[in-house]
Amino acid sequence: MNVRSTALCSLFLRRVLRAGAELVAVSLLVFAVTTIAPGDPFSDVRLEQQVSADTIAALRRAEGLDRPFLVRYAQWLRSAAHGDLGRSIAYRSPIAPLVARRAVNSLTLVAAALVVTWALVLPLGVWTAARDRATDGRIVASGASALIAVPDLLIAIALVVVAARSGLLPTGGLRTAGAADQAGVAALVDRVRHSLLPVLALTLIAGPPLFRHVRASMLDALRAPYLLAAAARGIPYRRRLWRLALRAAANPLVSLFGLSFAALFSASMMVEVVMSWPGLGPLLLDAVRTRDEQLIAAGVMLATLLLIVGNGCADVLLRSVDPRISM
Amino acid sequence: MTRLLGPAIGVAAVYALVLAAPFVAPYDPTTQHRDRPLAPPTRVHVIDRDGRLHPRPFVYAEDISGATHAYPLRFFARSSDDSAVGRGSRHLFGVDAPAEVFVFGTDTLGRDQLSRLLYGGRISLGVGLLATALALGAGLVLGCIAGFVGGWTDAAVMAASDVFMALPWLYLLLALRAALPLDVAPARALASIVIVIGIAGWARPARLVRGVVLSVRGRDFVAAASASGASPARVLRSHVAPEVFSVALTQASILIPQYTLAEITLSFFGIGIGEPTPSWGSMMGVMLRQELTLAHWWLAAPAAALIGVSLLYHATADALQRRSLAVGVSR
Amino acid sequence: MRRWLLGVVCAALAAAAPIAVRTATPQAADRLDAMIVDGDIGRSGGTLVVAARAEPKTFNPIAALDIPSRDVIWRMQADLIHINRETQRAEPALARSWTVSPDGLHFVLSLRRGVRFSDGHPFDADDVVFSFSAYLDERLHAAQRDLLLVGGKPIAVRKIDAMTIGVDLPGPYAAAERLFDSIAILPRHRLEATWKAGTLGDAWGLGTAPAEIAGLGPFRLERFRPGEDIVLARNANYWKQDRAHTPLPYLAQLTFAVVPSEDAQVVRLRAGELDVLNRVSSQHAATLDRDQASAPYVLRDLGPGLEYHFLFFNQNDPVPAAVRGKQAWFGDERFRRAISLAIDRASLVRLAYNGRGTPIWGHVTPGNRLWANTAIPRPPASASAALALLTQAGFKRGADGTLADAHGTAVAFSILVAAGNAALNDMAAIIQDDLRKIGITVQIAALDFSAVLSRVLESHDYDACLLRLVDGDADPTPEMNVWLSNGPTHLWHPLQARPATDWEAEIDTLMRQQMTTLDAAARRRLFDRVQAIAADKLPLVPLVSPNIIVAAKRTLGNFRPAVLDHYTLWNVEQLFWRAPEGRR
Repeated sequence: MNVRSTALCSLFLRRVLRAGAELVAVSLLVFAVTTIAPGDPFSDVRLEQQVSADTIAALRRAEGLDRPFLVRYAQWLRSAAHGDLGRSIAYRSPIAPLVARRAVNSLTLVAAALVVTWALVLPLGVWTAARDRATDGRIVASGASALIAVPDLLIAIALVVVAARSGLLPTGGLRTAGAADQAGVAALVDRVRHSLLPVLALTLIAGPPLFRHVRASMLDALRAPYLLAAAARGIPYRRRLWRLALRAAANPLVSLFGLSFAALFSASMMVEVVMSWPGLGPLLLDAVRTRDEQLIAAGVMLATLLLIVGNGCADVLLRSVDPRISM
Repeated sequence: MTRLLGPAIGVAAVYALVLAAPFVAPYDPTTQHRDRPLAPPTRVHVIDRDGRLHPRPFVYAEDISGATHAYPLRFFARSSDDSAVGRGSRHLFGVDAPAEVFVFGTDTLGRDQLSRLLYGGRISLGVGLLATALALGAGLVLGCIAGFVGGWTDAAVMAASDVFMALPWLYLLLALRAALPLDVAPARALASIVIVIGIAGWARPARLVRGVVLSVRGRDFVAAASASGASPARVLRSHVAPEVFSVALTQASILIPQYTLAEITLSFFGIGIGEPTPSWGSMMGVMLRQELTLAHWWLAAPAAALIGVSLLYHATADALQRRSLAVGVSR
Repeated sequence: MRRWLLGVVCAALAAAAPIAVRTATPQAADRLDAMIVDGDIGRSGGTLVVAARAEPKTFNPIAALDIPSRDVIWRMQADLIHINRETQRAEPALARSWTVSPDGLHFVLSLRRGVRFSDGHPFDADDVVFSFSAYLDERLHAAQRDLLLVGGKPIAVRKIDAMTIGVDLPGPYAAAERLFDSIAILPRHRLEATWKAGTLGDAWGLGTAPAEIAGLGPFRLERFRPGEDIVLARNANYWKQDRAHTPLPYLAQLTFAVVPSEDAQVVRLRAGELDVLNRVSSQHAATLDRDQASAPYVLRDLGPGLEYHFLFFNQNDPVPAAVRGKQAWFGDERFRRAISLAIDRASLVRLAYNGRGTPIWGHVTPGNRLWANTAIPRPPASASAALALLTQAGFKRGADGTLADAHGTAVAFSILVAAGNAALNDMAAIIQDDLRKIGITVQIAALDFSAVLSRVLESHDYDACLLRLVDGDADPTPEMNVWLSNGPTHLWHPLQARPATDWEAEIDTLMRQQMTTLDAAARRRLFDRVQAIAADKLPLVPLVSPNIIVAAKRTLGNFRPAVLDHYTLWNVEQLFWRAPEGRR
């Protein structure tokens, strides 16, 4: 037991080191792409007829855009190491406060969607795998296939249109705009109502592929010979399904958990834009459009960090669950 | 076997149709019928207004004098399209001027949707297939290496896959497209899209394959095989490969429609194949205008086509997977 | 007799008393000299929710470069002389009156008395002097600095007394009054210290506490939620009143809701969650129009504004090699005229704008009532006339229909267009088809906007480009940078050392003349000539001006949208809710 825990610890440390390296790689790539891509945060202003070229050049100099790529990157890296996420040229202010609130909003959305998706997909996947030959099992499976086939963007837009036409749910935003500050329970209810549509969208987008994987893993697990033996021994069906087969399918399912987090996160970027959810998605899209390189780097870094954490947890979980996998 | 045959034939039929687009499509996909924007699908009749049954299906149209006549559909007819490309070629079906047969209506600029669907399908489906081959190939190789060799190689491959999955590709592509030269010929643009999507997509298959390889390696019978002198190559071939194959199959069934979707998304944002080449993505760009699509339902044709093709793929994959399963355990 | 005398003395005392009282109590001198605004008398109260495409990036007028920021800032700030968006003429604002010297170089502005900032602090000439010093400060690189330069030299603003300002122009300037519009007067008591410390450019960012931001506009900042909304509350100290002397604004609260996509905005308007849409594209106008009769909103199509869409060709020198070969075609004005003749503008309006646009042959649109030259020829689209011109210019049509130049090279080029703008991309496809009919092969390259601008203005690596420009003001002078050959936005060949062609030299002279000519009729003639030359030589081929379409709740009173920015909120202080169920 002791050997295992020290092995787990060293694994954790190695993961942290690797995460650091990945973050640096990602940030370098982002800076490189932003530099290659023509345009800068002052592009829009260039077309304004009354602003002179000198003013724009002066603004570029003041923000340090005329320094070479490596110099800019090195300086940003140094400040990032100290926790300072840099400065946004478009907002003319430090990035950390800009990103903090939005990151929280994105995380709450993704976390809620993660819970809802797995709560739906796991039982459904197990159940349809067990009832694979029966009609209802196959209907659910076809339904999931159909949903996978529909483009994510269309699902999100279709939901918005349905919500608008039916008037049942608010069509976007975090809470009702312009309403006076609501207290306690009323505010909470308002927030929950506004989050239903995006969470539903994310579930419909990320759920079906996940469902297929769960079902496939369960189907694989269900054909193991020891289950036949267990049936012969008289172990009840439910026990065989949920305790034995599911355990055996745990390996791919755990790595799927990490991947589902990644899938939900990237889908949330798009859903946030469509449903005006004030998360990292719209911020990042706008930053790319205006080539605000430090903001892009900070946003992508944050997203990467969350993904690495998710994958890392999945990996660690995987190894602790399946003792056959060596450290 | 029957469960596999149906969908497999369906997929093959779709590919055959789009490959034969110049023959099947009644119009050139770029011809703008400017007097008929957003025209609904043309109704094809067999029984005319007087109740008579016609041997050939026909459409109603007004001629110059304003009188309505029945114009029969011509099969294997020569094109009356006056564009330089289409002149004189044979088409599966068509109709003489001034009648028109728009099976799926026209878009905002009066271009025949069926023709655009067929020509666009070549791009979208082709890209899906090729990009999947690329991504899956790369993912398989890298995943197997990572799972088999382990150690630093494994860590490096997994780190790289993390980086690739973390990058917001769409946003970066939007920026990157701007750096590419402007009049990229359609063939080269196609190739670059395939490569970009394939490169962006190796990460997830690699991770899944690696997970499977790791667990297979850990199994007792594999350890036993190694202990009794089987070379790594043999272990790979006899034990790992079948497991990986089923994973790869599931992946392929999901990835092909997904990469078709990726090409569509790129075209959607205007950074795929440029006009005048149609693609399902640029056609679906119109669907973003929800009100327009709700009022003119035929604009949703590319979405329906995509969903249909995806369903066929999934059905094929399901049937294939069922075939590779051993006897299942049921109640 | 004595009673009569007593009466006179009492009357005299009564007449003198108010004077005595006035000098005795200093607060009376601060009585507000309000500006009376014409319009329906409304009822106070209520909230207005307006859609914003993006959140503002700052609340600082000096640093604000993007439109969402300016939209919000201009509900909180005010200027000295304001251009009435409806009449398109200058009118008094914080300056109640002004005199101009005969040579047009010296202004004396009398400021409005008794005005206070939103935080209660009184407004006087020191605030004006401070504001202009900040805008003209070279270290700050304010965009407004360029607006305040005449002939390259800054204007001089000095304090004459507590309520009077003198402005000296370095040279004659025709539309001098219009200089003051969109120069917000900043609170010295809040910002002078920051200015002296050199950090004024970064002040009043999004994280600033609302209490720190003070302005002279109808509203003040109450709350900002990142990515969600910006809530402004009524400025109790606002200096405008209606004819019944009720202090404006009527509305108690103005909320900008951040809704990035126009589809979502339309959905929320129909659901009643939004009250005003400031710009509705022609694509959505059709559906909103159709449902208007039974809907709580009303759609207003204001006709052409100051926006114009055009095609232009790369005439830069030097230029990347791939483009150089094609410049022999682009540089020939017959080629450009042929292209203009070949393009079917009627189809552009009908198909790309659903009929809600105006075809244009000159860059000054019919929406600019004061300056548009109506005598410009408007030849209808004709492929044959285009081909005739091209034959004259030495082009030949081959057997397969392809057009080739005198050397036998097939005419083919690419048109750069900004991706994401559906109407522009549809236009590009129609133009491509039109040019195919005369044998020219066109490839469309859609890139994102920053990249398009970078290629046009910096690397000059493009063949032709489809772009849109919006004139900020009806007056011709603000668009100088587009027409002067050494202008940075002289799109087809910016920043020329010397005019490349004689017609560009002629336009240079004419534009400079109209800038300093004080006589309105003479200016008109000069600018008419500029428009005629531009329509003949076609450095920009004008295509379409899209209509300005807005939507608002039916019960919104005093809703008088205009074609100058800000279309719907330019008179926000007068907007009110008619029916009691309008808004809370």
